Amino acid sequence: MSVKRSAEGTAESSSFAKRARKEYDNDYAVMGNEDDAIPPSPPDTSLVPRGATINFSALTRKLAEARRAKEKEPANMSSLEAHRRQQDSLVSHIFMDQDFSWLHLKPDHASRPLWISPEDGHIILEAFSPIAEQAQDFLTAISEPVSRPAFIHEYKLTSYSLYAAVSVGLQTEDIIEVLNRLSKVPVPESITSFIRERTLSYGKVKLVLKHNKYFVESSHPETLQLLLKDRIIREARLITTQTDNSIKAATFTTSKAPVKGNLTIPGTKDSEKNKGDTANGVTTSAPGQPATRSATDADLFTSVVGVESDEIDEDDENVHAFEINDAKIDDVKRRCNELEYPMLEEYDFRNDTVNANLDIDLKPATVIRPYQETSLSKMFGNGRARSGIIVLPCGAGKTLVGITAACTIKKSCLVLCTSSVSVMQWKQQFMLWSNVTDRQIAVFTADQKEKFAGESGIVVSTYSMVANTHNRSHESKKMMEFLTSREWGFILLDEVHVVPAAMFRRVVTTIKAHSKLGLTATLVREDDKIADLNYMIGPKLYEANWMDLAAKGHIANVQCAEVWCPMTPEFYREYLREQSRKRMLLYCMNPNKFQACQFLIKYHEDRGDKVIVFSDNVYALEAYAKRLGKPFIHGGTGQVERMRVLSFFQHDAKVNTIFLSKVGDTSIDLPEATCLIQISSHFGSRRQEAQRLGRILRAKRRNDEGFNAFFYSLVSKDTQEMFYSTKRQQFLIDQGYAFKVITHLDGLEDLPDLVYRTRDEQIELISSVLLANESEADLGTDVRAGEGDLAGTVTSKDFGPLKFPAAQRTTGSLTALSGAQHMSYVEQNKAANKSLAREAAPRHKLFAKRDKEKAAARKEARAAGRS
Amino acid sequence: MRAIKGVLFTCDPAVKQILLTMNEKDSFIIEDLDDHHLVIKADDEYRVRKELEAELEKNTYSLEA
Repeated sequence: MSVKRSAEGTAESSSFAKRARKEYDNDYAVMGNEDDAIPPSPPDTSLVPRGATINFSALTRKLAEARRAKEKEPANMSSLEAHRRQQDSLVSHIFMDQDFSWLHLKPDHASRPLWISPEDGHIILEAFSPIAEQAQDFLTAISEPVSRPAFIHEYKLTSYSLYAAVSVGLQTEDIIEVLNRLSKVPVPESITSFIRERTLSYGKVKLVLKHNKYFVESSHPETLQLLLKDRIIREARLITTQTDNSIKAATFTTSKAPVKGNLTIPGTKDSEKNKGDTANGVTTSAPGQPATRSATDADLFTSVVGVESDEIDEDDENVHAFEINDAKIDDVKRRCNELEYPMLEEYDFRNDTVNANLDIDLKPATVIRPYQETSLSKMFGNGRARSGIIVLPCGAGKTLVGITAACTIKKSCLVLCTSSVSVMQWKQQFMLWSNVTDRQIAVFTADQKEKFAGESGIVVSTYSMVANTHNRSHESKKMMEFLTSREWGFILLDEVHVVPAAMFRRVVTTIKAHSKLGLTATLVREDDKIADLNYMIGPKLYEANWMDLAAKGHIANVQCAEVWCPMTPEFYREYLREQSRKRMLLYCMNPNKFQACQFLIKYHEDRGDKVIVFSDNVYALEAYAKRLGKPFIHGGTGQVERMRVLSFFQHDAKVNTIFLSKVGDTSIDLPEATCLIQISSHFGSRRQEAQRLGRILRAKRRNDEGFNAFFYSLVSKDTQEMFYSTKRQQFLIDQGYAFKVITHLDGLEDLPDLVYRTRDEQIELISSVLLANESEADLGTDVRAGEGDLAGTVTSKDFGPLKFPAAQRTTGSLTALSGAQHMSYVEQNKAANKSLAREAAPRHKLFAKRDKEKAAARKEARAAGRS
Repeated sequence: MRAIKGVLFTCDPAVKQILLTMNEKDSFIIEDLDDHHLVIKADDEYRVRKELEAELEKNTYSLEA
């Protein structure tokens, strides 16, 4: 791993990492109740058993070395070769296990863009290579992007990514062939066998819901027979025909293989053109299989082109199927996974005559963007709806993708989101983009329990409303019965990455849905649950490249910067002595940060930017906003005042800056904002960082020539904030964003009316900070989740009045309470101010002694002089 | 006359604050000159450097191997 990391220019040492990790864990133990407060364990989705491959590769290495030694005896080597060999052996110990110099480079390796690690399936791509773009398309289809900075990209081959590759119709041998063409070294044996092994079984078996019956379907009858040999699956099989046992195993229902037919995704510009092309089963645009680009790079990609036609066409036109029992569907799914024949779930919605159609369509004016179309074409690749996850950046129109999918399937649809606020947003978006009527769309939250009129419709709800197992009100119980009793054509899962796995499982098992689509912007979890999503929803169908979208103008170009503000000595002194959570308050309120914030606001207001300042800490938020004379919104701000502040920010040229607390993370949409400054944030939450960046990605002015949005993080130097800040950035760095570090803001000192310029003012500030309650240091205290909101997804729009703390009752004798029982008044805390003006440190003994001796000598001399 | 071998330590104000805190546990500062300079005992120099390094490293995030 360290080799790969150093390839990205990140120097690291495992011992540092360990130490940092330990420190991190400690911190989190204290703040344990927050959503991201889970110690990070990067999800390792690779199914290659670690121990086994290392041994294997060590063996390969030894063999390769032995072979090389045999090939050339040192005696008959040229002097250059001998020299090289010697050099290699000198440095090879540095890389230890990661020394891959024994791999044989192809002679023309310089023109090939990638390298594959034989051990863990990581692929390193030179993104500056002329054919990198094509290679990227291919790699996103077969592997998962790990990190995509400007020049070197890292991808990873995993079982799930290969599963996804097969599900969009790529063939095993083609994958290996293309990899081999692009690779600097011949594709290692371990990788080819891994690919073969995984792709052989994946995608061969499909789970299809037809006429409300579950069928296990395959184009390979032998595979079905193999599955039927398993006891669990055999028992789950539903026998409909009256045939005797011996023949049954060999006879399956046989039908025509599906072709894409005349399915078009509404809203696509070339939906007309599509109709002509699709007759022969080829989609016009398929990411990963660069069919459109093949004209220019025909020789390189010939092997992949045309694979889009369903693999079923290859052997015969028929698919074979057997029916299984509805109740045992879960067992069968699990069993198939264990047998390494995971089932693809597809929904043949056009032939579904049992479930009533829902007559909705996108409004004619709605046009979807190319990448949205691409993601949807992955979902509806063969005319059926595949289940899976689509990953798009914040502000890139995830909602529209979901709505378009629903309009394509045209069946009853259930939308699940994280909070009651987003429930209303989804409903509103459905009304905005599609011609769904008010009667067809219903909302199920704690306050509203509606059913749609007619046979089919859309229900929008939250995860916790549906997954709730304990007591419900009568109404919601009835509503749940309504939800579970019927069949859903489509279930849309918003923000899939935040849902706890157990809750998810409950949702997926209680609701009968033919196809599932998960939407998310940040497929990162601080726990190891990404693999679970793969099993419960389906593979990742599409992941957009942020940088690509920014380059094409779909999202704004963002300049990211981290501003280092040195702590003033007084603040740092208190910071070092403070062990509690108040530390955070100290680094938020650092006068240098204050000044940097003031300077940046001034600078960007003068440029004509609209600035949002984020602070999770409400105390700091108010202090900053009041001192700098800017409007602010936090949970305690009343509804009327909030609306007024927001409309002023949007329309008044004089109000160019607002301060937002955590409430602004998701729920407030401000397309005017073009500059974002964060002064306090939620520890190391990568998701929050991405969400906040999303606030300015949809900037209205993004299409202006050379327009840049700005994202600043103000960080107090030498504090924990540095650690968190770096951690928070990791997700965005993996998406290709580069953070500049600003250590000094030019012209800061010359700013007129700079706040806290003098030491006296700073000392005044620190004394007020020290007097603040410890509870003031808590983050996001102003936002309370409503009923039915998922923990950690604070988006509440309606904050409501803050509740008074409940009265506390304690028992005690009257004497004790009146102070008669050994109770006396003792002043334990010294006034904070006194400790601020540091008295000079006591002199060292040596100097003290010298001083004393000097004084004595002087006295003596004086005495001598007088006498 | 007793002499203590000292080392002039130049640092930024923040590091000086860390050193002052460390000094409270285990005294090694001979003289506090100004915001940027300290005289410390030469014998403790190595230990102080190491402890300081460890202290500063706590705020550095590095990718796990």
